[in-house]
Amino acid sequence: MKLSVPQFWRVKESLYEMILTRCLTCGRVSVFKRPVCLYCGSTKVVHEKSQGVGVVESFTKVYYKQDSSEDRLPGTVAVVRLSEGVKIVGEVVGVKVDEVREGMVVEAVLRRYISDDPYGVIYYGLKFKPLKQNSTR
Amino acid sequence: MRAYIVGGSAVKVDRHFEYSYRDLAYKVLSSCEACGNAEYIVVASALPELMAHQVDLGVHIVQWAGRRVPVVRVESGESSGIAAVEVATSLIHSGTARKVVVLGVEKVTEYPTYIANRMYSLILDYEFEVLRGVSPPVYAALAMRELLKVGFSRECFSSWAVKMHENATRIPHAMLKFKISPESFKEAQVLAEPVTLYDSFALGDGASAIALSSEPVGYEVAVEVVYGSSEVGLPAYARDRVSELQASTKLLKQLRERFGVDLRKVTVELHDSYTPYPIALLYSLGYIDTRCELSELEFVNLSGGLKARGHPIGATGVYQVYEVFKLLTGGFDGVSVSSEVGVVHSMSGPDNASRVLLLRRWR
Repeated sequence: MKLSVPQFWRVKESLYEMILTRCLTCGRVSVFKRPVCLYCGSTKVVHEKSQGVGVVESFTKVYYKQDSSEDRLPGTVAVVRLSEGVKIVGEVVGVKVDEVREGMVVEAVLRRYISDDPYGVIYYGLKFKPLKQNSTR
Repeated sequence: MRAYIVGGSAVKVDRHFEYSYRDLAYKVLSSCEACGNAEYIVVASALPELMAHQVDLGVHIVQWAGRRVPVVRVESGESSGIAAVEVATSLIHSGTARKVVVLGVEKVTEYPTYIANRMYSLILDYEFEVLRGVSPPVYAALAMRELLKVGFSRECFSSWAVKMHENATRIPHAMLKFKISPESFKEAQVLAEPVTLYDSFALGDGASAIALSSEPVGYEVAVEVVYGSSEVGLPAYARDRVSELQASTKLLKQLRERFGVDLRKVTVELHDSYTPYPIALLYSLGYIDTRCELSELEFVNLSGGLKARGHPIGATGVYQVYEVFKLLTGGFDGVSVSSEVGVVHSMSGPDNASRVLLLRRWR
């Protein structure tokens, strides 16, 4: 077993849901559930659940080969501006890599990240797929 | 108490299948005349647990080298080398040791490249970035796209790589000692569009050492470590722009404001793991505009940079310091500078951690 179950279990909220951290001191919002504001260091923060919908601001078609990534190549990784105004980086699936465009509206979807082959743990987490498109990868 | 670099050495960055971590460390220590009589050794290395299943690498190196001196290993991703110099100068400044050796060593060819790539990607946040498909060339690609949008041409990035390869041809320990042409980019393997293999650093094994002393007298040459500073930047996904290298820009601006450092006039080694980063940095500092005129930056990365000298991840910063030390004290065969001041810049990931050193020839 190469993958840790407790490590993944601990961050399940950030992997299965899109949790945001809103700072009550500086007002900025950051992605992921954090105890401290990423921008000003304040601990006066509240956590909110994102709707998981956003717009592709920028993207790249990825060919970089890494252990465990082979079956995801070529893939697309995009900077997505969520409807709450904050940016997040993630994979875009459910669409041909050549069809991803800036301005494309996407929604978060649960997909496989990595697994202990062949019978081990499978990690799942959020990726993005085009909104109003039901095809899966 | 002041700290002076009084000597150093470097092994050629390469695929050293015949050498282990400790073999490379011993090789470079043996070739560093000024490294004798050290009272402390600081080892810079980023990946030994992943690459060689080795914890507490510093102790095993010191035992192998037959030196019974205190040792500590410093790890800060790609910026480990400069972080180790920071620790070493602190040991000198505090009076803990009068002479400290900083030894950077890394093995990256123990596994096929695609496995090494996976290990290298762990300089990013595993849970928030790596698991989500983000890797270092992804950020480099997003940064290049931003720079293309503000008006830089694709040829600008190619010209950086061409210049680095040309510089590396004169450096004895450089990995890629051959020239490339701008046209060759068209054939280059794409890592993450539009970034290609030719925009990326050369991944190689390496070891470099420098000797730091509280006393420059008695050594043939000496370079003072005048100033060092480091910053932690925001994660790239949390910035307005990925190409906004705020921490590095701030540190280099500080050098300009406090010490009058002009990168066009001093010897400087910039961290150029991917071509968009030095271009973004020079642009934000005002040394270039979108026309990308690099000719005035004559003394930048005379080593060939990470691009062509090579990038043995945790050891690279020590190479950079050794190279500036050499250039300030006579240079390499056929490569010399008149400048008495040198700057070393290192960062891990896209400006996650950034570090600078200001060096000045003492003799």
